[in-house]
Amino acid sequence: MKNAIWPNLFQGWNRTESETVYTLKQVPVFKGFSKREFNELEQLVHHRSYAAEDYVFKNRAPGEGMYIIMKGTVKITIGTRSGNESVLAELTDGDFFGELALFDDEPRSANAIATTDSELIGFFTADLLSLQDRHPELANKILFNLGGILGERLRSTNHLLMEAQGVKDDG
Amino acid sequence: MDKNLPSDHFEVTVPKIEHQQSVLLIYRLLVGLVAAGFVWFIWPYVSNVLLIIVFAFLFTTVLLSSVDGLERKIHSRGISVLLITVTVLAGIGIFIGSFISQLSSQAADFSSRVDPTTLTAEFKSLGERFMAALPGFASNMVSSGGDFASTLSSFVNSVVENLAALAGAVTSFMLNAAMILIFTIILLAEYHSFRKTLVGYISNKYFEVALKLIFNIEKSVSSYLRGQFLSAASVAAMSVIGLLILNLTGANLTLIVFIGIIAGLANLIPLVGPFVGMVPAILIAFMNNLGSEVSVAHMLFGVVPSPFYIFDIILMFIVVQQIEGNLITPTLVGKSVGLHPMLVMIALIIGGTILGPLGMLFSVPATGVLKVIGQEIAFVRKNAHLL
Repeated sequence: MKNAIWPNLFQGWNRTESETVYTLKQVPVFKGFSKREFNELEQLVHHRSYAAEDYVFKNRAPGEGMYIIMKGTVKITIGTRSGNESVLAELTDGDFFGELALFDDEPRSANAIATTDSELIGFFTADLLSLQDRHPELANKILFNLGGILGERLRSTNHLLMEAQGVKDDG
Repeated sequence: MDKNLPSDHFEVTVPKIEHQQSVLLIYRLLVGLVAAGFVWFIWPYVSNVLLIIVFAFLFTTVLLSSVDGLERKIHSRGISVLLITVTVLAGIGIFIGSFISQLSSQAADFSSRVDPTTLTAEFKSLGERFMAALPGFASNMVSSGGDFASTLSSFVNSVVENLAALAGAVTSFMLNAAMILIFTIILLAEYHSFRKTLVGYISNKYFEVALKLIFNIEKSVSSYLRGQFLSAASVAAMSVIGLLILNLTGANLTLIVFIGIIAGLANLIPLVGPFVGMVPAILIAFMNNLGSEVSVAHMLFGVVPSPFYIFDIILMFIVVQQIEGNLITPTLVGKSVGLHPMLVMIALIIGGTILGPLGMLFSVPATGVLKVIGQEIAFVRKNAHLL
């Protein structure tokens, strides 16, 4: 008969990383985090479930932070669902959105709607500020990474603008 | 309006909606009445627990930033909570212990200097001299039947009679304090996960706004309470300096520091606190100068009779209050929660009725917290259409 003591005694020792940590690792905002830091982050983030067609947030609603898709799909739209809806992006597992709300108090600039039953991870300004109080090195990493992402977006926007204006890009 | 609907559809719908609204109003009223009745019924059973939770929450709010700051240094939440709690408890213990020992040595000194058999006679002559020192109109205002010595004796008797009741109150207070301590430790250790679990129950629609609401409440309450403690500390420091400058109470430096701290803590209770803060200083000045002809005949600014330097002390505390209220608090604390004086008095009466002096101490910050919560909820309701 197989002895059950040893497997039970060492239960969890070879535990693989959680689904949350696995998802967070794919997000460039958390680039350079150690295993311990990801575990700290896991304690902080919020898990939210949305049914298909549920709003994650509405355009012009007060924005408090970013969402990361753990499972499911989300579309980013402007306009209303009654007719003039325009889809800006369709996002899936590992994608993130709403990160600008971490920096400013401006309202949301688009709708985010779950297109299938979705599981999202929320990371909000209150969490970032709490992290800054308790683990400032982690908060600094997040802010540095976010700065990099926004800088990259600004560069590509500049590039598109120059293309639209017919200016030759020497860079 | 839908083109396929009959033309009288609108006229039929309006009364129906009005009827539905009045039914909803009656339903809400009934639910409100049932809820109020339920609260009235269970309040005696849960009021103590609720107050313990409120106090634990207030202590947690005050200590949270210290625990978070220490956690940042030593990377362990548990040890941070332990260290902060032990430090605070040790501080309170040392303060109360030293104060009691100082006060008892002062009382021993007092009793050795004053002969108990002649104490009544001393009080009597003191009363007569005090009345003689008062201007004519003021002495007429004091009832002639109010014998100073007998009033004091009956006061001492009533104090002795109430000692048993005091012992019971102290036991109940110690039990409540122990419960508040346990709740505070748990809240401090689990605060962030507790908050996360709490917001986890909020629906997706209100989730983000609730998170902001909690954050704003934490920020406002924390700055309000920290402001209160800063102003208390400033009153304590200024009272110590003032008493040292006066140097008329005859008390030693340690006792002066204690009197200052008590004045600072009493200052946390609005309206009555400043007066309560003067009492220990006046008491000590009285005990130390009883029998001294110079102190009995003392005149403030050479004009106002101030036996035992009582009016000097009162004037000093008034000056301290004015500096604190008009200069230090507006600079250090800035805009506080700003409760209406009427609301402050109501809060004080309710707090005092439920928990005595401790209730008075915390009823105003608790009302401030409720005001902040109310303001935030009003903001959310105003912007609910955006969610």
